[in-house]
Amino acid sequence: MATAVKRLDLTIGELVEVAGRRYEVVPDREGGVTLEPPITPAAQLHAHRGTKPASKEDFERLSADVPYDDEG
Amino acid sequence: MPDRPAGGLPPVSIEFGSVEWKEEVERYDHRSPARAQAQSARKTIETGTTKLDWKRCKADGPGATRLPGARKLYVPLGRQGASGAPYGFVFQLIQKPDDSLAWNMVAFGERHPADERTRNVYERAHKRLHGRYP
Repeated sequence: MATAVKRLDLTIGELVEVAGRRYEVVPDREGGVTLEPPITPAAQLHAHRGTKPASKEDFERLSADVPYDDEG
Repeated sequence: MPDRPAGGLPPVSIEFGSVEWKEEVERYDHRSPARAQAQSARKTIETGTTKLDWKRCKADGPGATRLPGARKLYVPLGRQGASGAPYGFVFQLIQKPDDSLAWNMVAFGERHPADERTRNVYERAHKRLHGRYP
C-alpha cells in the first residue's frame, strides 16, 4: 500500500510543529531544505534578558593575548 | 567561575543559559559521549580549578562563519587535536544590565563532524548570532 505524501509549502525560517515538537525549516547543503530543532537567536535572548553584545573594545581588551586557531 | 584575564583586569563570569544549554547540549541523547563531555566540561569550568585554554573565534572564518566577539574552548578541556577534543563550546562576550561583562555560551557541538550533513559548532554559533546559517 502506498504511503500518502503530505506536501508542505514551507520556506526557510518557518517553524513547524510535528507531534508536539517544534522544528525550524533550514537549508540543507544540497539546495533543498530540512527540518531541525530551532536555535533561538541571540538577539531574542538579549531582548528577554536585558543583555547585549559587549563592545569590540571590551572584547579586544580581554582577548588581546588569546590566540587564534585554524578553525572558525 | 569567572575567567581571570591578564593585566589585572576584573574577572569575567562564564555563563550557561538554560535556553542555550537545552538547545545545544540536551539535544544529544542522555547516553551520548557529546552530552557527557559537555556536562563534565561545564562542571570543571564552574568549579574553577582548571586554567582554561581559550581560543579566539574568527570574524571571518571558514565556511563563511562570522563570529566576532566570540571565544571558544575545546571539549574535553585541555585537549587539542580534533580526535582528542572533538567538541567545542563557543562563548559570546555580553554586557549585562548592570554593565558587568560575561562570557555566555552560544553553541556546543562537533568541531569537525564526520557526517557532512551535520552542522559544526561554528555554524551553530553563527546561526545563533545572526539568525541563519552562513
